[in-house]
Amino acid sequence: MDVKRGRMGARENILARIRRAQGRSGGEPTAAETALVREAIARHEVGPQPPFAHAPDRLAQFRKECERLGTTHATIASRSEIPAEVSRYLAAGGLEKRLAGWHEFAGLDWAGAGIAFDNRPATGDDKTGLTGCFCAIAETGTVLLLSSPATPKVTALLPETHICVVGAARLVDTMEDSFALVRSEVGDPPRAVFFVSGPSRTADIEQTIVIGAHGPYRVHVIVVEP
Amino acid sequence: MQVQSMFFKQRASEKLGDALLQGNMKKAKGKFVDGRAKAVAEFGVWEEVRTHAAKVRDRALANLDAYLVEFERNATRRGAVVHWAETAEEACAIIADIAARNGVRKVTKSKSMVSEEVNLNERLEAAGVQVVETDLGEYILQLAHEPPSHIVAPAVHKSKEQVADLFQKAHGKPRLTEIPAMTREAREALRGHFLTADMGISGSNFVIAETGTTLTVTNEGNADMVTTIPRIHVVITGIEKVIGTMEDFATLIRLLPRSAVGQTIANYLTLTTGLRMPGDADGPEQMHIVLVDAGRTKLLGGPMQEMLRCIRCGACMNHCPVYQNIGGHAYGWVYPGPMGSILTPVYVGLENAGDLPNAATFCHECSVACPVKIPLPELMRKLREEQFDRKLRPWPERMAIAAWAFAVKRPALYAFLSAMGARVASWMGGSEGLIHSLPGLDGWTKGRDMPAPQGRTFREMYRQRTRERR
Amino acid sequence: MKVGLFVTCLVDLSRPGIGFAALKLLEGAGCEVVVPEAQTCCGQPGYNSGGREIAKELARKVLAEFRDCDYVVAPSGSCSGQMKVATVQDLFRGEPDLPEFEKLAAKWYELSQFLVEVLKVGRVPGKFEGTVTYHDSCSGLRELGVKMQPRYLLQMAGAKIAEMDGAERCCGFGGTFSIKLGEISTRMCEGKCESIRATGAGAIVGGDLGCLLNIEGRLRRTGDKDTKVLHFAQVIAGEG
Repeated sequence: MDVKRGRMGARENILARIRRAQGRSGGEPTAAETALVREAIARHEVGPQPPFAHAPDRLAQFRKECERLGTTHATIASRSEIPAEVSRYLAAGGLEKRLAGWHEFAGLDWAGAGIAFDNRPATGDDKTGLTGCFCAIAETGTVLLLSSPATPKVTALLPETHICVVGAARLVDTMEDSFALVRSEVGDPPRAVFFVSGPSRTADIEQTIVIGAHGPYRVHVIVVEP
Repeated sequence: MQVQSMFFKQRASEKLGDALLQGNMKKAKGKFVDGRAKAVAEFGVWEEVRTHAAKVRDRALANLDAYLVEFERNATRRGAVVHWAETAEEACAIIADIAARNGVRKVTKSKSMVSEEVNLNERLEAAGVQVVETDLGEYILQLAHEPPSHIVAPAVHKSKEQVADLFQKAHGKPRLTEIPAMTREAREALRGHFLTADMGISGSNFVIAETGTTLTVTNEGNADMVTTIPRIHVVITGIEKVIGTMEDFATLIRLLPRSAVGQTIANYLTLTTGLRMPGDADGPEQMHIVLVDAGRTKLLGGPMQEMLRCIRCGACMNHCPVYQNIGGHAYGWVYPGPMGSILTPVYVGLENAGDLPNAATFCHECSVACPVKIPLPELMRKLREEQFDRKLRPWPERMAIAAWAFAVKRPALYAFLSAMGARVASWMGGSEGLIHSLPGLDGWTKGRDMPAPQGRTFREMYRQRTRERR
Repeated sequence: MKVGLFVTCLVDLSRPGIGFAALKLLEGAGCEVVVPEAQTCCGQPGYNSGGREIAKELARKVLAEFRDCDYVVAPSGSCSGQMKVATVQDLFRGEPDLPEFEKLAAKWYELSQFLVEVLKVGRVPGKFEGTVTYHDSCSGLRELGVKMQPRYLLQMAGAKIAEMDGAERCCGFGGTFSIKLGEISTRMCEGKCESIRATGAGAIVGGDLGCLLNIEGRLRRTGDKDTKVLHFAQVIAGEG
């Protein structure tokens, strides 16, 4: 068996069956059919969106949805205040003042805030992970992370606490807006386009919601609003 | 999973008599239905988004081959290997082969109904591969050696006491009974598996043609572990899951978690495209995508095609009064409730699942709840028509319909028979007007009296009234 | 205004009083009512059993019988759904007969909808003292939008309505389902009966005789000899 294609002919058989069922002849889509499909795709048609997604106060909408999801949030005026806010948050929760964080935060004054900052991807042993995000979505209180060498996804996933820094200018209304931003700033999506909306949860035992299934128990968003 | 759907009636009867299950089902019932209703009410443009979602799904299904080839091209461009499986066996063989070639000893899995459909775990285990289900509900069922009873909440039929027993046995620790503590224990038991698995297997709620992207939707975050940490990521999904763009996904994801459990959004949505990039700290080195037919093409091109829009939210079963009373296992295969009553007969053969299309009162709760507007009762009726035409129903039933049809088309005969029937049945009802048992209708009279007719038909009385008035 | 009364096969056989109640309401509101004698059944039992051709044949029969009426009225949401929805959306879709069935569908009304939306009745002959609870039958509710109309009429007759939990949930009748899968059907009906009992209402009222026979059968079997089971037409016509 050729592992690259499954059993020889499976692809051809499936495509031929589809075409036969839909009254088209031949074994593969024609150039004209492919062109039509690509044309439809290229339109990137946006469907109807709920009215609240386009709130006059985008940040207020974002915060409201965060609260609904159990995400805590704070607003600061500049990036230099991040260590102090992280310190406050960790102290308030009685959490250890040590974290693994994305490289973009390595230059901040962590020692001054009494925090041990590890400039590396989080492992299963780290209690807190600090990440930035590509953008955030007001409609649902979501942060969007894109994978890259400098932005490891595991840091948002493995620790029990995830702290995420959001620049207020990176807040968009809807998921469609976030995709448009990915397209214009990055182009092809990276390996992981990762939407996080609140702490990990499960309701698999008696439909009872429990926070902290496999991912973080706590998500704290720090909005930087200059 | 072995198909047991031909024993639906008997299995349903057992489930109705299972007091523990009945209690567990009762607890679950309101949460899904009320949660969805609340989420829909505050959404504002539910019908508009439903209509658009149906259009989005139809657009891809109408040109399914071209969308799939476009997906394949883009996924391949990003380094994934796309495999095609005509049957369940082929899908398993492809994945077992990937595991064997790469010396895979342990697999972590996030929830995939297609993998249940093709019996993937059994096949991998037979090849000596350890398979660990990581969705909490699926993990519970793996410990219990049971199939899921619901496509979104697989262990909905289990009580916490039953889960506590399973965990105590599997984890070898003191028995916990508080749900948060039990969840933490499972988290700790699974964490080591996440970090040491060689291969992660996930499903994909949709695949996106434009970018060659697959995706997972979870609340637990388990799919993110499964698709991020192991060196090999295998996606198994049905060929009908393809959509055009990320924007199409944005529409569908407004509907999916709201319909499933009343959530505005699932906690983790991950769109995965291709391999880890140079310098990336995480992500797999190999990605394989297995596109499975296994009966799906049978639904194409005819009146049943609308079924392929299904986004597996579970709203139809949550709202189904039949499902609510018997649970998912009675349906005898992977997909329960109204969507299963259509998919099962089509995928495993109508002759092997005869009662399923009949397991509905056509109350239409399912089609009202369906986020992509699948006319589920109408599709069940199509299957009933096929049963009728192929003479697949039991002969007494066919005889009864034939006799009824003969009479009802002949007004004079019908008037005579109904007048006779009204008299006889009225006499049988006695002074209290209730028939306690009726041969041939014991399906009714076992649990209910039959309120008896009152002796004369409307037709007779109206005729008399007309005469008297002249 | 010439109104054809589609009696329904169940009313004809089992509860003629409902047919006469409908007659009284329509005539009382000034309609000229005709009751075509050859009518039998709308065909739904065949349709839901997979007998598509039988259903079409019976639909044509109904069409012929009521062709020259201005309106057709039936004391049933289920039969009305068959003639208003199934014919045009499924059975005759894309066929030459479709326009004829579209005309029939447009003039066909479920009784409560006809009284409220077409006749716009302001009073009803019946007087009902006491509390009732109303069961929304599935076809009427989800296919035709029957919800407030019967309640409005019942209140007009003086009835107080105590809403039950899950009024819109199926009672488990489902035509032949109630016999083919009787055990499940009975359990569904028991759920409905529990909701009815919890209201403490003296009567359960509905708009479809199939559901009512099902509910009555279960209530009586479980020892409830007192709760009245009535069609709304009987209540508002004063024939309850």
